[in-house]
Amino acid sequence: MQKLFKSSHNAAGTLLVALGLWQATPVIASETWHWHGFVAQGLMRSADSNFVNNDGAISAELTEFGLNSTWKLSNTVRLAGQLMYLDGGNRFQQGGRIDYLFINWTAINDMDWQLDLYAGRYKNNHWLYSATRDVAITRPLIVLPQSVYFDAFRDIAVGSDGLAVTSTHNLNFGELELNWSLGATPIPKEQSQRVISTFINGKTEQDFVHQFSVFLRPAQSKSQWGLSLLDSDFNYRRVANDIFADGDFTVQRVMANWRYSEQDWELSSEVFQERVSVYGFYAPGTERTQFGWGAYLLGSYNLSAKSTLYLSHDHFFANKDDKKGYLLPQQSGGLIPAYFGYQRDTALGLSHNIQPNLRLKMEYHWNTGTGRLGPNVVPDTVVNRSRHHELWAVQLMYWF
Amino acid sequence: MIKFAFGIFLLSFSALLLADNAAPTPVESAAAQPLVVVHPTVAVPSLTAAQLRSIYLKRQVIWPDGLPIQVFVLPLQSAVHKEFSQTRLKLFPYQLERNWQKLTFSGIGTPPTEVSSATDMLRLIQTTPGAIGYLPFDHETTDAKVIQIKP
Repeated sequence: MQKLFKSSHNAAGTLLVALGLWQATPVIASETWHWHGFVAQGLMRSADSNFVNNDGAISAELTEFGLNSTWKLSNTVRLAGQLMYLDGGNRFQQGGRIDYLFINWTAINDMDWQLDLYAGRYKNNHWLYSATRDVAITRPLIVLPQSVYFDAFRDIAVGSDGLAVTSTHNLNFGELELNWSLGATPIPKEQSQRVISTFINGKTEQDFVHQFSVFLRPAQSKSQWGLSLLDSDFNYRRVANDIFADGDFTVQRVMANWRYSEQDWELSSEVFQERVSVYGFYAPGTERTQFGWGAYLLGSYNLSAKSTLYLSHDHFFANKDDKKGYLLPQQSGGLIPAYFGYQRDTALGLSHNIQPNLRLKMEYHWNTGTGRLGPNVVPDTVVNRSRHHELWAVQLMYWF
Repeated sequence: MIKFAFGIFLLSFSALLLADNAAPTPVESAAAQPLVVVHPTVAVPSLTAAQLRSIYLKRQVIWPDGLPIQVFVLPLQSAVHKEFSQTRLKLFPYQLERNWQKLTFSGIGTPPTEVSSATDMLRLIQTTPGAIGYLPFDHETTDAKVIQIKP
């Protein structure tokens, strides 16, 4: 798969770019550029966990600034990109990044069928909130359910370098959307330390991430249903005096999602099973596979035209065969407590639009278990000494 | 976990059953629904509700003859916009707005152009090739083409 991806990736991308430029014809100048952006700043505190920082102090590390632009080359070809600055404390790597930068060719646009191809750094369109998890104003909560939207993986999951296809069909029974993508994401050392362990010194690479999803919106229904599949390989290459060995990781996820909308309220949910296999890494020749489960149910209620109330409950089990994490202390010689094997989060949030483009959000999370606190492979047992931990956050956001 | 997942899907399945024939309720009778109007040169006599929804979700961006579709909307809090959204598109206004934000901030499209009044809407429909918009059912439609929306 990796060889197939690496050999076909550049050629296919070049082909799509060539097709796009061939299709491009001049359009009216005033219609060619669109600029948008957002800025969000807040305060948050995570008591008894390393989610935001290690000392539990109130933190202003809740900064998000994004600037995005679309350049229309023709009626069917566009270039789009987003420059992003993030400061989220322990949650994200601080600094700027390009969340997406792609060329989009609308290959078919015939009233009942739309087919779009993307080459470059495309966005993850496979989950309910994945395409805009990086945009503060589009998230229902400041901190999304971590079982699915694990912040330590944010930069890896938000998009990838490669190819993506989206196809939408109007059919007799409703609207059917199909998405496919194949790519890989560069992983800087600091990012891999947030995901794997703060003790690693080697190099981590994502070999590929291959995803497919289908969404069905039945006619005359207020529900939407979806299914997504993910297959991804990573590798770790040690350096001299490294305490870890060379390692390979496989992550495979099957996820179902659902959304039901009423005039004043909405429910959404995603349920997944994730296989994580580690070959080597802990020691040469070792192999470990476990299946994790996760699910959340998120409800929203429009209190008024300007205010919305959110309530969510999120469950995560790192190992479905050891839901209470009893094996963790045994396997780690007592170093990793059982509560690192799961996490349950109940969150209550409120959003209020002060102005049409100015929003204040606030929320509170009650957590039991530390299974979704980074790093993921070798957890931080020094700071995360409590089975229960709480989080509150307030964020003001403006967009244009 | 199994109970939780099962509960979610039981809830969603029940909701689907309840939701059959329960898409956003028309506010007025069919005769009183907002009129869908296009620039006179748009060579489309009618649209299905699904096609109109694709246009307003900004998935469908060109007419069959290749002309770009210019989509106009009234202020999102206006009664006519809410009525159009629910009766014609079978979507709640917040669903439309969420979709436009997704388009805008994920780089896959651009939102419609908002106009301040029905009078401005009619003027722009009259003068913008490829334009589509909507007007109150009793509004004048001089020099604009009213198209039929099929179920």
